[in-house]
Amino acid sequence: MRPFELLEPRSLREAVAALEASDARPMAGGTAIMLMMKAGVLRPGCLVSLRSLRLEQLEVASDGALRVGAMTTLRALEKSEVVRKGWPVITKTLRTLSNVRVRNVATLGGHLAHGDPHMDLPPLLSALGATATIAGPKGERTSPVEALYSGYLETTLRKGELITRVEIPALGRKRAAYLKCTTRSADDWPALGVAVVMDGDKPTIVVSAATDRPTRLASLEAAEALHIESDLHGSAAYKKQLLRVYLKRAIHEARNASH
Amino acid sequence: MKRATQATETPQVGRSVPRLESWLKVTGKAEYVHNLRLPGMLYGKIFRSSVAHGRIKRIDASAARAVAGVHSVVTAAEIRKLIPEPYYGPAFHDQPILAVGKVRYVGEPVAVVLASDPHVAEEAVHLITAEYEELPAVYDEVEAMTSKAIVHDELKPAGTFPDLKHLKGRKNTNVALEFRLRRGNAEKAMKGAERVFEHRFRTQQVMHTPLEPLVSVAESTESTLTIHTASQSPSFVRIEIARLLGWPENRIRVRVPFLGGGFGAKLYIKLEALVSVLSLITRKPVKISLTMEEQFFTITKHASTFRIKSGVTKDGRIVARDCEVWWNGGAYADIGPRVAQKSGFTAPGPYDVQDVAIDSYALYTNLPPAGALRGFGIPQLVWAYESHTDLIARELGIDPVEFRRKNLLREGRPQATGTLMKDAALEKVLERLEVLMDWQKPFDRGEGTVRRGRGIAIGFKACIANTASLAAVNINADGSVTVYTSCVDMGQGSDTAMAQIAAEVLHLATESVTVVHSDTDVTPFDMATLGSRSLFHSGNAVKLAAEDALKKLVQLKEELHLAADTPVAEVFRKKYGMRAGSVTGAGSFIPPYTPPDEDGQSDNATPFWMVGASGVELEVDTETGRVRLTRLVNVADVGTPINPRIVETQLSSGAIMQLGFSLFEKMLFDAEGQLRNASLAEYKIPGFLDIPEHITNEAVVAEQRNGPFGGKGVGETATFGVSPAIANAIHDAVGVRLTELPMNPEAVFMAMQKK
Amino acid sequence: MRRTIPFRLNGEPVEAQVAPHETLVEVLQESFGLYGARESCGQGLCGCCTVLVNGTAVSGCLYLAVLAEHSDVQTIESGEQPDAVQEAFVERSAFQCGFCTPGFVLMTRQLLDENPDPDEDAIRHYLSGNLCRCAAYPEILEAVKLAAKKRRQR
Repeated sequence: MRPFELLEPRSLREAVAALEASDARPMAGGTAIMLMMKAGVLRPGCLVSLRSLRLEQLEVASDGALRVGAMTTLRALEKSEVVRKGWPVITKTLRTLSNVRVRNVATLGGHLAHGDPHMDLPPLLSALGATATIAGPKGERTSPVEALYSGYLETTLRKGELITRVEIPALGRKRAAYLKCTTRSADDWPALGVAVVMDGDKPTIVVSAATDRPTRLASLEAAEALHIESDLHGSAAYKKQLLRVYLKRAIHEARNASH
Repeated sequence: MKRATQATETPQVGRSVPRLESWLKVTGKAEYVHNLRLPGMLYGKIFRSSVAHGRIKRIDASAARAVAGVHSVVTAAEIRKLIPEPYYGPAFHDQPILAVGKVRYVGEPVAVVLASDPHVAEEAVHLITAEYEELPAVYDEVEAMTSKAIVHDELKPAGTFPDLKHLKGRKNTNVALEFRLRRGNAEKAMKGAERVFEHRFRTQQVMHTPLEPLVSVAESTESTLTIHTASQSPSFVRIEIARLLGWPENRIRVRVPFLGGGFGAKLYIKLEALVSVLSLITRKPVKISLTMEEQFFTITKHASTFRIKSGVTKDGRIVARDCEVWWNGGAYADIGPRVAQKSGFTAPGPYDVQDVAIDSYALYTNLPPAGALRGFGIPQLVWAYESHTDLIARELGIDPVEFRRKNLLREGRPQATGTLMKDAALEKVLERLEVLMDWQKPFDRGEGTVRRGRGIAIGFKACIANTASLAAVNINADGSVTVYTSCVDMGQGSDTAMAQIAAEVLHLATESVTVVHSDTDVTPFDMATLGSRSLFHSGNAVKLAAEDALKKLVQLKEELHLAADTPVAEVFRKKYGMRAGSVTGAGSFIPPYTPPDEDGQSDNATPFWMVGASGVELEVDTETGRVRLTRLVNVADVGTPINPRIVETQLSSGAIMQLGFSLFEKMLFDAEGQLRNASLAEYKIPGFLDIPEHITNEAVVAEQRNGPFGGKGVGETATFGVSPAIANAIHDAVGVRLTELPMNPEAVFMAMQKK
Repeated sequence: MRRTIPFRLNGEPVEAQVAPHETLVEVLQESFGLYGARESCGQGLCGCCTVLVNGTAVSGCLYLAVLAEHSDVQTIESGEQPDAVQEAFVERSAFQCGFCTPGFVLMTRQLLDENPDPDEDAIRHYLSGNLCRCAAYPEILEAVKLAAKKRRQR
């Protein structure tokens, strides 16, 4: 790994300013970025650690929405009673997301900002209608989580921007499920992830892993027209078959979800 | 932990003694070369070829050399000043220490950057550039037989093997070795057969991925060299390094502590020659510690193609078998030629067929080299012959177990080599598997989208021959005992087994015996720890050494006119005036062997057979092809289990490793020979969630009469039958036959679609 | 750009000189001679590098050492006596080559701290991030169950 400078800003303003430098990159939990640096894919001259920004809140707002600070660890989310009660699909999804050591340090913000379509929370939170609050050089803005992804490992976050908070609306009478399919060992990146939120009989479907970014399906039929590429996890044709099957199963599971 | 020398009449063999090194391992204190740091040590990081086949036009390391902290950059040019012909290998001296003139696979080591900070070395590697004149490459083993892309301009068989001599200087071929066996007249018997079946099976290239990646450290003076290495074959390392340097063996010392896994990856020469020569050039200790990724570019398991044809009577007797096997050896032969030959002769399977033809070819291709991996070619063969045998049984409407029972080799019958079967409990193993699988009970195959199936398979292996093991046993003046063996404990429990054997002879508690780790200055020659040979060979040597020590102690007592029951300490006091000194027993074991003739016939091809069978029950999700094993049963003949608990865990461990190879492991290459999945993120190995819920492992009651206390090896046995048992179960469940590994969900699903 | 960072290591206050790019495993080995945490896969998937930071298990090969400043770091080498988990691993032969074993022991302790009576499903899921190429998984499962029982009895 190439030596780099490590900064640990204590305020959001400092962090944003530091991130404007051309070869500076943010570090949240550090898992994803360390992997990329060790592989030589990323060679930043400066890493900006976000861990002193105090973005770890986890609370339910008065309108019933879940507000999660971007630096909340996935493990904290996983163990939260509040989340389990109000959004049990998130708790269930986290159980098989990577492994415990990763979840111990990985953060919600880092997870969402990475842009890897094989990850579990982007499609799920997109389907749940979650919103991200983003701080940047031009101030604060919000974006649906769904709108964060513009391509494979590409997000709509601009230079100097970082996610500070994620808000997930109350489920209310909606029911949700997330299913993923691994085609090699159980602990593999999925070949396909399907998130379904049922509002009565109306499904919101977001598909990921087989696509280059979380992708909303307007209808079940739209699945056939999806652009899917072959890779290590399976051929395009096979992933299409998985999609047909898992769509059906995810809708079924969502319909029967306890909440 | 208290390990006082304890005399005992309790038998030590057959005891499930906890491994002697248990506390070291659970406290993280066990020694591995991975941990070794020496003062003044340099780290070496390797620059590797980016093309699959090409002549090296130039290597530019100037920018790398200029990096602050870089000690030096070494290529073959510097190495050849010390070793003009820097080629090594157990069967062929075809592998250069660093690429000479040509590269033959993507990832081949071309240069090394040395620095005292490994980060500096790694960064500098990125600054090296090389230019290649690319040559056509070949990747498929069958294609390599006739391809115009020739990997080696000339074959270089190692002089130590008389049976390879005729290959010297051969050109324009990718065939490193062609093993041929003819018994009876397969062609004629095939023509006369009532039914003939022919199938083709393939297996994929995979990697051992020991969790301690390959690592070696060398330190030297002008006249001595010490190599600390994670190696299963320290004696071979000493011989080969001595040969390369032209030094006498007694100036080279090879030390091996514990291995963090081996599985056949850490054999012969891997990094040892490189670190040795680097240490001699720099006059500093040098360590090269591979990353997990780099292991994939170092040594792998042979992919294979096996065409198998059987002539059969209508009522299910196999009357002829014709086997043709192509082994994908990658760019350097390593031990591939032995795989082709020594495993090759079991290709027809454990069946009584007296008209047999086998042709087994070791091929060169432009892929990372293939060598020994737990099973040594047997799993690939069993995959084919047990799938094939199962298909025949189905076609003839005969129960798979019954069909096998009808055809299994019995004691005293000639195997394909002509060697008479001895102490191979094939029938017993099959019978026991049948019982454990409830095979006679009806089996519910389910309805709806999830179908169930079950399958069995049985395989065998001939221990390689003929190989030697020597050992020494000291009875110290206080009565404590030390065992010296170059057998390497890589997790299979050999230290414990050797201690048990010595303890049994000397009537001591196993826990009080010390086993000295491989150190070629101290421990005697052992061919290598591989191929499940050690319990038998090293164990026999240790037994002989312990018996010799005991005999010498008895003689000493007689010489001193002491009573037979005189305590040991007193004997030494009388002999040496104080409680000091020792009695050293030596043991040397090499079993008898007859090399095969030009038809592969021999009356003594192997000192012992291994027998392993597996049964599987599984579910197939017909909508996705996903397979879930609900039950895995492994039955084996290991002779007398020296340590029943270790035997059980070895069976379990071999089977689970083979599960990975059966269901999802595969090295994936693109059209230019670039490996696309060289890391554990992209090359998945079995984890906790992949383990079948019900696994049963059993050794049948058997005896290997020429083994130490009736015992023999077990490390590979449970790898034999797993893959075909799964394929047979899938066929049982959904009526499709997979002929290629791995049997991933897509393969299952696509096969169902084709039907 | 080396910096001196103070932290607690296995209960003792210590200091180390580290560069930003050095990982916790590297510093533990280089500066403290502790080799129980090892880098194997280098990607946080195998658990051989497991270290506890402020009571939480992390992958030491992905954890920048500078971030351990003022933290409480615990490795397999902490503690004078073998504990119930280590005893159980020995009694159930829950290892072979031993390279992954410290990681499994540390994760098992964490599991049992959080869940003193886990069922098999909970154990498999919790330990799904620890790999054993020797495939001692069935024995490890038994060892975890035995360790839970031993702990409950103490």
